[in-house]
Amino acid sequence: MSTPAADVNPVHKAVLRLQTVLLDTILIASLLLMGELQWVAFSGRRGSTGLLMPAEEILKILDYGVLTLVAFVIATAWNLFYRDIGCSPGRAWVRGEPPWERDLPWQHTLRGWFLALFVEFSFFTGWIITEVNLATFLTKFGKAWDIIRGLLHPSGAVLDQGLILLVQTVFLAFMATAFAIPIAFFVSFLAARNLTRQSLTFRLTYTVVRTIMNFVRAVEPLVWALIFISWVGIGPFAGVLALWIASIASLAKLYSESIESIDTGPMDAIAATGASYLQVLRYGVVPQIIPPFLSFTIYRWDINVRMSTIIGFVGGGGIGYILKPRVDLGEWGEVGTLVLLIAITVWLMDLISAKIRERIV
Amino acid sequence: MSATAPLPAPQEAVRIEHLGKTFPSGVRALDDVSITVREGEFLVVLGLSGSGKSTLLRCINRLIDPSDGRVFIFGTEITALTGSALRAMRRRIGMIFQQFNLVKRHSVLDNVLSGALGRGHMVRSLFLSFTPDEVAFARSCLQRVGLLDRASERADRLSGGQQQRVAISRALMQRPEIILADEPVASLDPALRHSVMRHIEALNREEGMTVICSLHDIDLVRRYASRIVALKAGRLVWEGQPEHLDASTFREIYGEDAEPASNSSVEEEP
Repeated sequence: MSTPAADVNPVHKAVLRLQTVLLDTILIASLLLMGELQWVAFSGRRGSTGLLMPAEEILKILDYGVLTLVAFVIATAWNLFYRDIGCSPGRAWVRGEPPWERDLPWQHTLRGWFLALFVEFSFFTGWIITEVNLATFLTKFGKAWDIIRGLLHPSGAVLDQGLILLVQTVFLAFMATAFAIPIAFFVSFLAARNLTRQSLTFRLTYTVVRTIMNFVRAVEPLVWALIFISWVGIGPFAGVLALWIASIASLAKLYSESIESIDTGPMDAIAATGASYLQVLRYGVVPQIIPPFLSFTIYRWDINVRMSTIIGFVGGGGIGYILKPRVDLGEWGEVGTLVLLIAITVWLMDLISAKIRERIV
Repeated sequence: MSATAPLPAPQEAVRIEHLGKTFPSGVRALDDVSITVREGEFLVVLGLSGSGKSTLLRCINRLIDPSDGRVFIFGTEITALTGSALRAMRRRIGMIFQQFNLVKRHSVLDNVLSGALGRGHMVRSLFLSFTPDEVAFARSCLQRVGLLDRASERADRLSGGQQQRVAISRALMQRPEIILADEPVASLDPALRHSVMRHIEALNREEGMTVICSLHDIDLVRRYASRIVALKAGRLVWEGQPEHLDASTFREIYGEDAEPASNSSVEEEP
C-alpha cells in the first residue's frame, strides 16, 4: 500500500483483507442475485399455478449457494488485480480509496459503474418484489371513493360514545406518560455517558441500560400492547402499560441526551464546595435539565395520544377500540366521525404542546 | 503598600510536591511542579493558556486527580484522601472559576447557599432547604460583595461582573481558609476587572485567607500578587516577587514574540 503508515502487524492486515473480501462478496452476491431475479421475472417463466411467477416464488428458486461462491471468486480476483482494473468497493470502504483513483469521476472507475448498476438493480428488484402496479393505482379509484365520501359525511350516531372514548384516550396517554417520568428520570442518569465515566461499574451499568433501552425501543408499542392484553386483559389499562414501556425507553433516551449536553462548570463548582455526589447531581445537573425534560415529556404525551388510537385497534382501550369494528363493517360515515374527532384532538395536542414547549425553552 | 502582610510566623498552607498530570489523551499538562504557599500569601500563577494553570489549581482541590506527586493542605495530604474526608477538606478551600459556574436557573441567594452544602444536612439540602442561620450568613456574604438587593433574582439575570461576585460569596459561604481563583476576571470587561479583584484582595488582606490565583494580565499580576510562580508547558519556569518580573522574564514565560500586555511599564518599574 502506498500509505506511509503501512500496517506492520500481520494479524491486523489479515483481518483487513478478510473484511474487504467479505464486504465485496456480499455486494457482488447481492448484485448477481438481483440480476437472476430480474432475469427470471422478465423471461416469462410460469410458476406452479400456470401464471407468471410471482416474486415470492422466484425468491425461493434463486441459486443462492452457487452465486455466493461465484461472488467470492470474483471478489478475490478483483482484490488481487485491483491495481490493473481499479479498486473494489469493499477495499475503498475498509482501507480508503487509493490515491490514483481519488479525484476520478465515478464513470472512470470500475467501482463507480459497479455501484451504479447496484442502485439500478435494487430499484427494479424492489419494483418486482413489492408488486408495484401503476395501472391499478391509476384506474381503480372507485372503491376508495366510498370511504372518502363517508369521511366527508360523518354520521352523528357514534358522536357520544366517541367523545367519551376520546376522553379515555387522552387520559390513557397521560397516565402512560406520568408513570414513565420517574423511571425514565432515574434511568437517564445511568444512561448518560458524562455521568458514568468514573468507574468500571458505572460504565458497565451504562452499557447494560443502553442495550436494554435500545431493545425496548426496537419493539413497537403495538407488540407491547399484545403482550399486556394477554397479561391484564383487553381494556385501557393494557394500553397504558404498553405506552408506558415505550415512553420509558424513549424518554430515557431523550433525557440522557440532554444530560450529556449540559455545562459541566456548575458541577465542578458544587463539587469544589465539598458537596456529595448526590448534591452535585441535585445542584449541578438537575436545574440545567428541567426545561428540556419538561419539553420532551409534553411532546411524549402528544405522541402517546396519537399512538393510543392504534393501540386501541388491537384492544388496548381508547377511541381506536370502537374504530376497528366500524372499519371492518364498512360503516364509513361513523368511521368519518371518529377520524375527525381524533384529528381534532391530535391537532389540539400538537398546538398546545408546541406552545408550552416554546414558553419553557 | 507592601504586598506581603507582616505575619509573625507564616505557616505553610499548601505544599505541592513533584506534581504531574497526564491526561488520557496523552497530553502532559503538568510536569514535576513543586510549590509551597505560606498562609496569608496572594500567590499568582502566571502562564499562557494551555500552560497548565487550570490543571494545577484543580489538582489542589482534587477536581482533577494528579497522575503523580502529592499535595498537602495544612499538613494533610489531600491527594491521599477519599470520600467524606476529601469532601471535608474541600470545604476549607473555596474556588472561583473563569466562567463563574453559577447554577443559572437558581436565585442568587440559592447559589450562595450552595456553598454550605458540604456541612449542611444531606437530605434537607436535596430540597433546597437551609437553616435560618445559614440563610442569614448567606445574606451577609452577599452584602460583602454589594449584591444583597439582588438576592432573589435569577443568577443569569446578572451581568458577568456581578455573577463573579456572587461566585465569590458562594466561596465565602464555605468559610474557607484557602481561595483558588482560576482566571477570575478573564471573561470580564476590562473596566470591571478591578472591582472583582479587589473583593478577592479583601478576603486575603482582611480575613487572612490564602489566595492562589491564575492570571495572565501583567498589570493585574503586579497590582495584586504577593508572589508569582510561572508555568510554561506544564513546568515551573520562574518564581519570585512581582517587582522582579521584568521584560526579559516576561518574554521567557510568554515566548519571544510576546509583548507586555498593555503599555511598556514593565521595564520602567524598579
